[in-house]
Amino acid sequence: MIAPFLKFGAFGEETSLVLAFLIGIGFGFALERAGFGSAKKLVSQFYLDDMAVFKVMFTAIVTAMLGVTFLSWIGFLDLSLVYLTPTFLVPQIIGGLVLGAGFVVGGYCPGTSIAAAATGRLDGLMLILGALGGTFLFAEAYPLVKSVQTMTPMGPVTIPQFFDLPYGLVVLAVVLMAVGGFAGATWVERWMASRSGAVAPAPARASLRGNRRLAAVALVLGVIAIAAQPTRAGRVSISSEELALAAQRGADQVGPTELADWIVAGRSDYRLIDLRDEAAFAQYRIPASERIAIGGLLDAGLARNEKLVLYAEDGVKASQAWFLLKANGYKGVFILTGGLEGWKSGVLFPHLVEGTGPEVQRENDLLRARAARFGGTPLAPGSGGAAVAAAAPLPSLPQVAAPAPPSAGGKPAAARKKREGC
Amino acid sequence: MTADRPNAPSPYANPYLAGLGLGLVLLAAFVLVGRGLGASGGVNALVAASVNAVAPSHAQRLEWLANYLAPGTNPLKEWLLFEIVGVFAGALLSGLLARRVRLGVDKGPRVSTGLRLGMAFAGGTLMAVGAAFARGCTSGQALTGGSLLNLGSWAFMMMVFAGAYGVASLVRWQWR
Repeated sequence: MIAPFLKFGAFGEETSLVLAFLIGIGFGFALERAGFGSAKKLVSQFYLDDMAVFKVMFTAIVTAMLGVTFLSWIGFLDLSLVYLTPTFLVPQIIGGLVLGAGFVVGGYCPGTSIAAAATGRLDGLMLILGALGGTFLFAEAYPLVKSVQTMTPMGPVTIPQFFDLPYGLVVLAVVLMAVGGFAGATWVERWMASRSGAVAPAPARASLRGNRRLAAVALVLGVIAIAAQPTRAGRVSISSEELALAAQRGADQVGPTELADWIVAGRSDYRLIDLRDEAAFAQYRIPASERIAIGGLLDAGLARNEKLVLYAEDGVKASQAWFLLKANGYKGVFILTGGLEGWKSGVLFPHLVEGTGPEVQRENDLLRARAARFGGTPLAPGSGGAAVAAAAPLPSLPQVAAPAPPSAGGKPAAARKKREGC
Repeated sequence: MTADRPNAPSPYANPYLAGLGLGLVLLAAFVLVGRGLGASGGVNALVAASVNAVAPSHAQRLEWLANYLAPGTNPLKEWLLFEIVGVFAGALLSGLLARRVRLGVDKGPRVSTGLRLGMAFAGGTLMAVGAAFARGCTSGQALTGGSLLNLGSWAFMMMVFAGAYGVASLVRWQWR
């Protein structure tokens, strides 16, 4: 798994903003090409004489869906790291109806209004102004409507998960629905044209052949996808044999220094869970961790597609929790190697490397910087071999407040996580 | 097709090809940054920044915008805002290449320009409220969530079509 590249640390947030601009260019270009900078073209969808909105939208959905399915199937894309907006069924039904009404009243949806404004349409610009005004109104009125807006929370959940269907089967169903819908939409367009007396220009033979080929490719890929089990698979049940094998291989682990670097970088794509009791948690905890007792893990509202990193004093309790979560279908469960002891000896109080030379120097500087950031101090290399080190008591842990908040990554994970949605 | 009038706008692209392109852009977003496309989220960030500039203490009290105004956060350094600027640039580029950039108002023959602009504003207001309830718009929910088989996105998408078809006959005068 190497993608999503941002979440695997291939580049930082600054670069991701540049990519946002480039991705936006592609998005805007495609919208304008399709004719979606024109309100008349867009609303024709709802007067049945031009179904381009449906065709473009569902071709895009099928393309991206098949891409995501196959890329995660071959192990390239970790689907559990792709942000999934949590479902709130009732407000989303209300919001959909209101937005749909706004679509025919205003002539654009938010994305297409930008394409319209870019190509000189003043009504597109007005719609953007209206959307800014509406957002301001909503922000002011939020306390009044919050109870409705937060109704029926269901967490990040997919159709395969909710209906307990194989992921690939749903993919095929969407492809079939889209291709069938395209044929139906074209038929309706022809019927409307003949009814109004206008003779619809017959589409060019070459483009018709191209369309059929595209549909055939989508159908073939859809059928193959039945066998696909992407990371965010639908089935919660896990076979005992599979589980036994996973246990035999050893739990998936995250090293203490790796975790420290995640915290410093401000990564927000994982949750760090402390399994110890309240007193121990109050005395010291790894920054950015939250405490959940092992008995409460399954009721803690953790998502099955989240990356979870577990730790306790040592490996035993974390292993039990790992097994419990795995057996209940949680996909991305990891254990902090060595637990809190590993964190102490790896990050807070690491032994400096003996020797000289630039390599050793750099390594030791890194150890010192990392320890200092979390309120610890490295130990001299001379503090003996393994036996002596184990016997010598470690210095007392820094106070909870002591670890400096990571400054490089900026914001706390929780503050950022929410903002990923549209 | 444009041989007789060299300045005439080019015809729109085949919808399936445009959709294929759009889908590949969406897939690129998933692979590169692990998130999809959006529009209304960028509008939120812009409103947060504006209110914060005019009345910072009032902005801090608005819970809905709090995510954008957390301490140490610059609301304008928002992924979706950069993406929206790109959408503008990309649409402009495509429009220029196809000679479709023209100052004007898109409307049916039976409605005045002023009324059409007012309707566009009203539609935008409705849409912002709808997107706020739904936690996303046609881009962030229907397109992005749709391709990830997100349960709420599919419910939302069907309701968008239902709402639009339901209201279409009432505002036919604006378009036909």
